[in-house]
Amino acid sequence: MVNKVIRPVFLSVLGLLWLVPVYLLIANASKLPGDYSSAEVWKPAFGGALLDNMRDVWERADLGSTVMSTLIYSVTGPLVGVLIGASVGFAIVALRLRHGFWWFVFIFGGTVFPLQMLLMPLFVGYAETGLYDTRIGLILVYTVISVPFSAFVMRNFFTGIAHHVFEAAVVDGASTWRIFWRIYLPMSKSAMVAVFILQATFIWNDLLLGLTLSQSNDVRPVMTALTALQSTYGGSAMPVVLAGGLLVSIPTVVLFLATQRIFSRGLALGQF
Amino acid sequence: MSSTSVQVDPDSGVVRRTRSGGRPSYRWSAKGFVAPGVFIVAGLLYLPFLWTTFLSFTRYRGLGSPEWIGLDNYVAMFSDPALLTSLRNTAFWVVGTIAVPVGIGLLIAVLTYNMRFGAWFRLPFLIPYAISGVAVGVIWSFILQSGGALSQAMDTFGLPGADSRWLLDAPLNTFVMIGAAAWQASGVNALLFVIGLQSIPKEPVEAARVDGASGWTMFRHILWPMLRPLTTVVVGLSIVASLKTFDVVWVMTQGGPGRSSETLAITMYRETFVQSEYGLGGAVSVFLTVVTLTASIAYLRRQLSERKAL
Amino acid sequence: MKHTRMLAIAGLAGALALSACGGGDDGNGSSDDGGPGTNGTVADSGTLKFYTDKAAWEPQFDQVSAASEDQIGFDLDFTGYSDADTYSAFIKQSFRTAEKPTLFTWHTGDALAELVDEGMVASTGDLWAEAIANGDVPEDLQQYYTYNGDQYCVPLNVAYWVLYYNKHVFADHGLEPPQTWDDLMHIAETLADEGIPAFYQTNILFSFVWFQTLLAGSDPDLYEALGTGEASYTDPGVVAVMEQWGDMIEAGYFSDPGLADDPQVLLNNGDLAMLNFGTFFTGSLNALDMTSGEDYDFFVIPNVNPDLPQTSLIVETGPLCAAEEADDRAEAVAYMDWWLGADAQTEWANARGDVSFNPNAEIRDERLADLGEEANAGDIRLIERYFEATPQPVLTAALDGFGAFVTNPGDPMPILENIQAEADAYWANQ
Repeated sequence: MVNKVIRPVFLSVLGLLWLVPVYLLIANASKLPGDYSSAEVWKPAFGGALLDNMRDVWERADLGSTVMSTLIYSVTGPLVGVLIGASVGFAIVALRLRHGFWWFVFIFGGTVFPLQMLLMPLFVGYAETGLYDTRIGLILVYTVISVPFSAFVMRNFFTGIAHHVFEAAVVDGASTWRIFWRIYLPMSKSAMVAVFILQATFIWNDLLLGLTLSQSNDVRPVMTALTALQSTYGGSAMPVVLAGGLLVSIPTVVLFLATQRIFSRGLALGQF
Repeated sequence: MSSTSVQVDPDSGVVRRTRSGGRPSYRWSAKGFVAPGVFIVAGLLYLPFLWTTFLSFTRYRGLGSPEWIGLDNYVAMFSDPALLTSLRNTAFWVVGTIAVPVGIGLLIAVLTYNMRFGAWFRLPFLIPYAISGVAVGVIWSFILQSGGALSQAMDTFGLPGADSRWLLDAPLNTFVMIGAAAWQASGVNALLFVIGLQSIPKEPVEAARVDGASGWTMFRHILWPMLRPLTTVVVGLSIVASLKTFDVVWVMTQGGPGRSSETLAITMYRETFVQSEYGLGGAVSVFLTVVTLTASIAYLRRQLSERKAL
Repeated sequence: MKHTRMLAIAGLAGALALSACGGGDDGNGSSDDGGPGTNGTVADSGTLKFYTDKAAWEPQFDQVSAASEDQIGFDLDFTGYSDADTYSAFIKQSFRTAEKPTLFTWHTGDALAELVDEGMVASTGDLWAEAIANGDVPEDLQQYYTYNGDQYCVPLNVAYWVLYYNKHVFADHGLEPPQTWDDLMHIAETLADEGIPAFYQTNILFSFVWFQTLLAGSDPDLYEALGTGEASYTDPGVVAVMEQWGDMIEAGYFSDPGLADDPQVLLNNGDLAMLNFGTFFTGSLNALDMTSGEDYDFFVIPNVNPDLPQTSLIVETGPLCAAEEADDRAEAVAYMDWWLGADAQTEWANARGDVSFNPNAEIRDERLADLGEEANAGDIRLIERYFEATPQPVLTAALDGFGAFVTNPGDPMPILENIQAEADAYWANQ
């Protein structure tokens, strides 16, 4: 079948095209700071400069002290966020909350506000309540940031679950909590994982909230340390900045790699 | 609505009849499920935005007390000729974002979701999202600067236009930045579409296959309609994200040269943070929010309610 | 402790509302005692919270912080911002909260005037008087820190704007550092013929640099009058400078304004020959392992108008400030006192690889040391950098206008009229 050949070839070509900027990133992150030149961006680089550059970033930006807290934020924030989002979706779709659409719009409105405009009022609120510069404060804000997206995806995913599943469970005498926890959530694993990894990546890469709502080294997330390398007033050399960007991307890339299996599971459709 | 609680009957007719009123027995638990989300979103997102809205009616430079000036900021915003450029560029972003990354995402999802090693073919498109913004911004600046990686490559292959000043001339700069954003967003859209495709029940697809449907017919008449819930998510989020376009533009051109690539979100940021005109920036953000909210409600209402009728 | 924190979270929504309203009526609400130090006493050791938008300077600040801990018992708790705009919003808002910035860096000009007007920064008149008396600070600098007759903040740094050049490129083309403007134009012409852009130029943020150089070198009085609103951007002198600038761009003297590469890399690679930048740039060049006097050097830019009595040299100075209402204000003021001294300045300037405002500091880089002496001599006229000399709304309009001009040079009039319109609006309100 022609389809069987064309499809992988087409996807491979497009995929390679997509990886070209990644090649440029790696090639130039592997150059010695003095060797970099924009006239030679395409030129491959071999040798150990990549690791040296990464070590340079690690020490200069003191990434070690920020990685742990960022990890905590990127796991707890989206985890709690996706559960809260799923419960919103469950209330609207399965329990048929009155005026569900408007409640949904209310939550969705959270993503509509431009984040930059929330920073200063959030900072003042955090400073007044003692949440400023605390890990719990950052976990809280990262959770909230994850809720609207989670609610949107989960709400719509739940509409794909036939309502008689819910009815049947009720007939069996299950409580709503149990139906949510034991039936709806397990059925939505792939959607939840997708929401989780997308939000975890977003949080891992967040700069603005971390910058504004925290100050000390063991609370501030990793991006605040990394961007300090890029500055008009004496930043680092380009290969070092790129190596830094690459270094902090490793956890998120690994996260994507590790979760791909989930998105290929349970397929029984075959070719069409 | 009858107050006698209609006990659930597996018969779907009962379900349909009780829908509009909601089943009294679930009213409270539904509220309980929705409450945590509503409270934290209200506290951490709505309250700060209310403050911004209040500021938009004042003159405030970040120090002292805001001074009430009514609608002056809104008048100033609409009489600034640069707002037109901003609106035009934002419109480009909306159209471009819905056309390019959504289109590519759908294509990749449909081609890979039921293919052997499909997840691995999809991976190259997801990697860009996983790479940190710092590195992405730097790399795309290299690619798109005059005489940069893109121009060099085009030159090597003898393609015309290698000497274009990608980021300097408007509206070309907006178009190439839409391309850079699409590079990052397509994989995410593909992933969301895949989730939707995977949740489609087997039976109708099998039935259609028995009827001889395949390829385009299968997609158009079976998969596409059933993919609707996730299409709504992808398009809905794209509308919101594109109206709020900020990061890419700020990193690459800061809205320049000479404000030529400014979007509404850049205008807002510029007024607030660069100019310290919190009130004027607030007015732009209220305007942006109203536009975004109206667009999303208009879109979602149609999408979400039409499905109800199914 | 844990208990109160939980309560705090529970009450967050309410508190956000309260703080929002509270800010509405009086801005910087409750200052319960506001007195210096705890219970009026000044501690003799401790850690001071320090905020800056120069996040990349953290290693150097750490070095100075270690020195200050040795010498006066205080060190700095460093918090760096990489984005200047978010930073200034953050600092301004923090005055309303309990998280006041004990020590922080800022900008002179309009930005500092705003803080002074609102009574946010501690006065430093005594420190200035003493430092000038014992020769730690040149008196010329005082004007940038004086508002309504009193001084606020102390200089964090000074930088002089000079032309850095790649010595190898100069040697390859048989060029010598210029003595006059005509020499400089001749160098640019020679390089342009060889296809090498003489000067660096950008359309983002630093788009003002050549406007500043050309105008200050042609008519420094006009330059200063622009900053105070006494002259118009449509003045024939300004128009002439723009046209001269446009001619230089058309002649191929400048690099592409959209280059994303770091300027130090371009200079190092010989992609261009000269860079008009502040002396803080020495640190960036040294980071690329370039050697002062060997790989690169710099010279003071000759005046465009050779008839001027003094050579115009652009100076940039950034303040180090203390919050008036910080609990440890007295300690912060003591720290600033130390900062002005020769010991601190020797430490700081050498860590940064930059000049110091303090003539008693020992600068290891000979070229920088010479420049520092030259700058304080009689045949130099120090001129405030455009960035600080121009009120914010005018500056923003000008940066955009210049950015557009360097990208597409042409008739400068519409751009100048646009900037002047902003200036008219601004000065009408003063």
